[in-house]
Amino acid sequence: MSEGTVVDRPQESPPVGLVWRRMHPVTPAVKGWKVVVVLLALGVQQLGENLRELGDLMGTNTWLIALAVLGAGALIGFGYAAIAWRMTRFAIDDEAVYLHSGVLFRQQRKARLDRLQAVDVVQPLLARLLGLAELRLEVAGGAGSGISLSFLREDDATALRTELLALAAGVRRVEGTPAPVPAPQDSVLEVTPARLIAAMARSGGSVVLVLGVAGLIAAVVASHEIGTIFVMVPAALGFVSFYWGRFSREFNFRAAISPEGIGLRHGLLEARSQTVPPGRVQALRLTQSLLWRGPGWWRVEMNVAGYSGEKVQVTENVLLPVGDRDQALLAIWLVLPDLGVADPRALLAAAMDGSGQEEGFTTIPRRARWLDPLGWRRAGFVVTDRALLIRSGRLTHRLVVVPHERTQSLSLEQGPVQRRLGVASLVVHSTPGTVRPQIPHLDATAAGALMTEQAARARTARAGAGPELWRRPVVEP
Amino acid sequence: MTSQPISAGPFDPPNVVWSPVSPRLSTARLASASISLGLPLIAGAVLAALSGIVWLWLIPAAFAAVLGWLGWLIPRQVRAIGYAERADDLLIRKGILVRSMVVVPYGRMQYVDVEAGPLARAFGIASVQLHTASQITGAVINGLSPVEATRLRDQLASRGEARLAGL
Repeated sequence: MSEGTVVDRPQESPPVGLVWRRMHPVTPAVKGWKVVVVLLALGVQQLGENLRELGDLMGTNTWLIALAVLGAGALIGFGYAAIAWRMTRFAIDDEAVYLHSGVLFRQQRKARLDRLQAVDVVQPLLARLLGLAELRLEVAGGAGSGISLSFLREDDATALRTELLALAAGVRRVEGTPAPVPAPQDSVLEVTPARLIAAMARSGGSVVLVLGVAGLIAAVVASHEIGTIFVMVPAALGFVSFYWGRFSREFNFRAAISPEGIGLRHGLLEARSQTVPPGRVQALRLTQSLLWRGPGWWRVEMNVAGYSGEKVQVTENVLLPVGDRDQALLAIWLVLPDLGVADPRALLAAAMDGSGQEEGFTTIPRRARWLDPLGWRRAGFVVTDRALLIRSGRLTHRLVVVPHERTQSLSLEQGPVQRRLGVASLVVHSTPGTVRPQIPHLDATAAGALMTEQAARARTARAGAGPELWRRPVVEP
Repeated sequence: MTSQPISAGPFDPPNVVWSPVSPRLSTARLASASISLGLPLIAGAVLAALSGIVWLWLIPAAFAAVLGWLGWLIPRQVRAIGYAERADDLLIRKGILVRSMVVVPYGRMQYVDVEAGPLARAFGIASVQLHTASQITGAVINGLSPVEATRLRDQLASRGEARLAGL
């Protein structure tokens, strides 16, 4: 037995009088390819296993059978995609986006625009060549609660995004007025391909690669057998795909700021353009690995409700793939224009590279240093009027920033060793994502006080936070 | 379980009156442990008795020892669970060896679940789980009487609605 009390989960049928629209008619042609690709992959795999019998196969009818299977698969794939296209339609009103889809299992989904967390325009390679795009709406409802409109014409997708963002911001639609124009975007952060390649070269994977190659050369020299190299082919392929994936995803990265929010664009083959409205970033994390310490580079990741951050192959959580110190500070500024302190640069300098108690940081007490022998001087926190800053990591410098109004819940934890030493850990619960803020081994009394204060601060900050409909006060033309 | 000024650590904030959960939760947990450990205990004992190998008695003895330890531990664990409704948030604390305390602001609750499995229903207890936009909140109160669970749920839902903010 399970009964749920729904605080906020309306389940009514869509209002009448909606204008229902379909996806672009070319959609089945783009989506249907997946079946053919899977069949081809299976075929190639089978062929690979029977490479020796290839000669025997050439003369027989096997090729015809394979072609027939492929043809039937294509027919099924494209046919299903065509039916699915027929069954899919969407509509928009001032409150929500409605999507009806599904062939066997019909699905009706409604995404409330006041809950909109992010809008992405994604263009896989094939769609990009055809001038199509997928529009993805992330609403705060856990995994799989977003709406994906695929595929639309690229212009339609961007126009729709502008319209949805305007509606979500509280700008009402008036009949007869021209569609809202996209807000002007000022590009503020850019990552050049050269910087990206240099950053990847200085990653932990490169260390493994160098060691691996050195070990391989040693093995070849020692064994006098050049064949040893071929053992490493799968590992080499893995490295190539890892580097290539990261390069192509983060290629040509640029971030912009506009009244619509933070705009991010990146991608070499699959182009992705994300828009995160103001106040939707739940937490930030700056990371600097040991190899990036020399050039002073940082990577900035964010938590946005709806972006799961669980898939490694996705860069939707990245606010800045690599950037120098000023760019990292700019990335923080994009999310939190006001840190609530008199001298934010000095505070952030202490938070990014400092250690000890300077700039008001509270660190792990000396008596508990054995719990974190390397980083105990660095691990700590500071509270400003607007956010909680958590610093950690001696080798890899990390800084987590959680705006007070974005704190979900808090928990205090204490194990037996920690109790002996009179320390406790505080965990700040944020939405699912790569950033998991926690402050380990604080003085127990301080941790308890911080928990109480932080709960109160979060409440006050929420009461004073900007409106959900962030452009409502704007006078309409 | 009232707050004691002597033991006022971080897990005993001032002016908080903790509500305990039903002792029937210990009964339910002990019953569940008895079934899952008792059956292998009996099977081991029968095996040892039939085979006549002396060292085989170690198997049921081990199970009996674990069962005895759980019989000592579970009531203490259940007594350590407490929750407190404050003006703006709900506190839940649990654990003896590893202690934890969660604070969930009412305005952050997305929805509240009341659950009771077959075993829990047989013992007349239910659990209330609070869901926020964070998956790791993990705010569950086990071992409430069904009446208290329903009251708490309605109370939380109305307080949540009054204070609901965006994410």
